[in-house]
Amino acid sequence: MLMARGVTIRFGGVVAVGGMDMDVHPGEIVGLIGPNGAGKTTFVNAISGTYVPNAGSIRWQDEDLVGRTPNRLARMGVGRTFQNVASLSDLTVLDIVKVGRSVRGAGGGLRDLFASGRRQDDELAQKYLEPLGLADHRNTPLQMLSYGHRKAVDIARALAGEPDLLLLDEPVAGVAPAEAFALAGFVKKIRDLMGCAVVMVEHKMDIVMCTCDRIVVMAGGVKIFDGSCAGAQSDPEVRRVYLGHA
Amino acid sequence: MLILICVAVATIVVLPALGRYGAYIVYAVTIAAIGALALNLLIGYCGQISFCHGALLGVGAYAAGNFGNAGQDMSISLLAAGVVTALVSVLVGLPALRLRGLYFAIATLAAQFILEFLFRLLEPLTHGVAGLMIKPAPFLGMDLSNDRGYAAISIVILVASLIGVSRLLRTDLGRRFILIRDSEMVARGMGVNVALTKLWAFAISGFLTGIAGGLLGFTTRIAAPEAFEIALSVDYVAMIIVGGLGSLPGALIGAGFVVLLPEAVQRFGESLGAATQTSAIREMVFGLLIIVFMIYEPRGLYALGGRLARRLRAPFRRAGAASQLAKSEGVN
Repeated sequence: MLMARGVTIRFGGVVAVGGMDMDVHPGEIVGLIGPNGAGKTTFVNAISGTYVPNAGSIRWQDEDLVGRTPNRLARMGVGRTFQNVASLSDLTVLDIVKVGRSVRGAGGGLRDLFASGRRQDDELAQKYLEPLGLADHRNTPLQMLSYGHRKAVDIARALAGEPDLLLLDEPVAGVAPAEAFALAGFVKKIRDLMGCAVVMVEHKMDIVMCTCDRIVVMAGGVKIFDGSCAGAQSDPEVRRVYLGHA
Repeated sequence: MLILICVAVATIVVLPALGRYGAYIVYAVTIAAIGALALNLLIGYCGQISFCHGALLGVGAYAAGNFGNAGQDMSISLLAAGVVTALVSVLVGLPALRLRGLYFAIATLAAQFILEFLFRLLEPLTHGVAGLMIKPAPFLGMDLSNDRGYAAISIVILVASLIGVSRLLRTDLGRRFILIRDSEMVARGMGVNVALTKLWAFAISGFLTGIAGGLLGFTTRIAAPEAFEIALSVDYVAMIIVGGLGSLPGALIGAGFVVLLPEAVQRFGESLGAATQTSAIREMVFGLLIIVFMIYEPRGLYALGGRLARRLRAPFRRAGAASQLAKSEGVN
């Protein structure tokens, strides 16, 4: 399980995250929401090793996560997706998925030097691309894909690393509503299938409500709510942050 | 790939019919192609611009020469040269862990001059300015120390390296090379160990470079500092830019172009009786070519050829489409 305590991140005089606590239990989908500038992405970046917190501790399976490089984290089973996905690459969708698979240290390694690996390709495509609607695009270079598809590729890439904790940073931002619900449905399916815990940073409330088991609301760099979806909707503090004074 | 092997076999079969000059041309192009392939792996696939390829070829030549003179078989000497050069290449690549793009290219420029300096300084191994004489060595016990033999050995090694590199690019390591070239930041974010991957690129590229350098040493029978100067590095960068960055056939085409062009200029000059003037033009022509290709076709002759082929085929396709139309109209 993930245990974050008193995580504080400052940029000069600006306190982006000020003493954030959060737990994530195995197999749980947690939605991390909050208004713009609440510090959601910064907090997720701290978990995934992009930022080193100024104070506080982040522990995963009883190991300290602070200061680890992304490749070390990937080996420990922490995977993430990005708000802005890579767009300029000649690599195909399947290539990207294979890179994702290799970072956990599983992968084909140099074995592919001698094997053609076509059966393995089919397996990967079926497991990670088909559920995301990417099966027809497996040999398409990344730069030829639409934005929505590239976001899906990023998720497939993270999943291929078989993470135990998956951090999704705005997985459906900028994606058409129909595709967004499909993606959200897929996040649930992954969890049921692979049993990984998911932390999802997202703005679209309807997506969060129908996907997450629990909701954590951030505002001004701190946690203001932690509980069920229904609870979040009726909580006075959350309503105040989102809707202004009642 | 099959075509490649057929061409290679055909060339080896034709070799005895070629004169000494013909065989020389064949191995000169082939060895250059192995070196260009190694550099293309580093620059064209992993995105690490290097200007010390000439010096690294030199390391290979000196290493192979020393092993050969110590009585080793040529095959062993070449492998040893590969390993030694791979190690040196990794050392040269260390700054790439901190520097990117042009800044790293400048660091390799420094490496070029340091290595040149060492060639002159480490006299027990390199015989200094005079150069190291390299005795002919048997290859797998056979005496192949003549132009045709060298050509055959080079072709076999080139084909093996081409197959090896093309397979390597389909492994996890190869995909990581390309990802790092496209965006180091994205690669890091995805959990790729960028530093380690780069060092692998330097090691593998260095290994091939060492073998090419060793072949250069054995065929010219001498390894001297002035043969591995910055001009040679520039030649190799020209090869992969003119041939095609990030394409395997591009390395071959580029090597052929850069090796044959001076020969052609030389012949042309001799026929005019002004050889010294025309050979001075050589460097200028390369410089111009690099600029022209960078502007009009950064993917080199290989991509240019592909575009030309498509254009040539287009009228036929259009004719085919027209007849299709005629047929469907006929049905109506």
